[in-house]
Amino acid sequence: MLDAVLLVLREVLEAALFVAILLALGRKLGMRGAWVWPALLIGLTGSWLLSAQAAAIADAFDGSGAEVLNALLFALAIGCFIIINWLLSDELWDPQQPHSTASQPPRPILDSLFGVIVAASMAREGSEVWIYFSAFGGQPDALLGSLMGGLIGTGLGVSIGVLVYYLFDFQPRRWFLPIYMGLATLVAGGLSMQLARQLMQMGWLDSGRPIWDSGWIVDERGWMGQFLNAAFGYDANPDATQLTCYVVVVLLVLAGIPLRRWRQRVQMEALG
Amino acid sequence: MRFRACCWLLGMSVSTTTLAATPVFEIDIRDHLFEPAELVIPADTKVKLLVHNLDATPEEFESYELNREKVIMGGTTATIYIGPLPPGVYPYFGEFNPKTAQGIIRVQQGER
Repeated sequence: MLDAVLLVLREVLEAALFVAILLALGRKLGMRGAWVWPALLIGLTGSWLLSAQAAAIADAFDGSGAEVLNALLFALAIGCFIIINWLLSDELWDPQQPHSTASQPPRPILDSLFGVIVAASMAREGSEVWIYFSAFGGQPDALLGSLMGGLIGTGLGVSIGVLVYYLFDFQPRRWFLPIYMGLATLVAGGLSMQLARQLMQMGWLDSGRPIWDSGWIVDERGWMGQFLNAAFGYDANPDATQLTCYVVVVLLVLAGIPLRRWRQRVQMEALG
Repeated sequence: MRFRACCWLLGMSVSTTTLAATPVFEIDIRDHLFEPAELVIPADTKVKLLVHNLDATPEEFESYELNREKVIMGGTTATIYIGPLPPGVYPYFGEFNPKTAQGIIRVQQGER
């Protein structure tokens, strides 16, 4: 049962954290959070479909179908985080001043981007949970124990998500936006390292020697390591390819800030 | 010229050994155990690992040291590329049966 608690907690934590920070962001922007329930429903359905088709998916692309799919889902989430940060860059420079409706990030687009991030995360991580439970099909007692463990793991993951949500919700708007953008940058960077790992696992990229090993500071097996892995894709021994992906994505996420600032200045100068 | 430079840079990062002969090693999963429990592979060489899950139930091959994680459905074979790795011992385990499914990959110089 303890195995089930840990496995499900690990899989649930990423989506719970994504929901928490995106819901908190939406509230600061005056959004109602209408995206949450459809995203959870699509994510749950998607995870079940992926688990039901797991064997066929794994067989595709010469045995690398699962990695291709995971890489696409990682890329989708990274793209959404980049677009959200770019859209928020104007707000960052002047968070106190309410912008005209025309200059505010378009809410339906933000709703969709939030929803895609959460649904992609749930589909990717949740499919493993369904597959795990399917292993206990012929053993009712073991299935019951693992389901109980799964419920506890889900409860723990959701509780951590709720805690993180209120932690952010209490922040004043002028502090929250820079904090969110910093976190989103780290999250997108972490997702890019996981994307690189998929490409290395399927042999499209070569692995290299680890640049460092921070396992003696934060062990990936420990609670802190698991939490940092779920939230920021923490990897104790990344190689050069992963770090290159990380730097490129971080630069892409941050590029919106100076570009939007520059555009604002040009517009101000044009107005005289 | 700029386009050619971009292509060259892209090519640098893409696998250089996929087309070359990649050594293949095999591991079986039987009764939630890995066989062999210890596999020796050559150092500084990219290796193709075929993991045959002979059980009816799924398993997840996972290793923090190898930086790999892959679900393997019952009765199927998974392909996982690892390396090039420096010499050392790299433990792995089955995440769905972590108490029994454990193994190590020993990377040694000169093993072919």
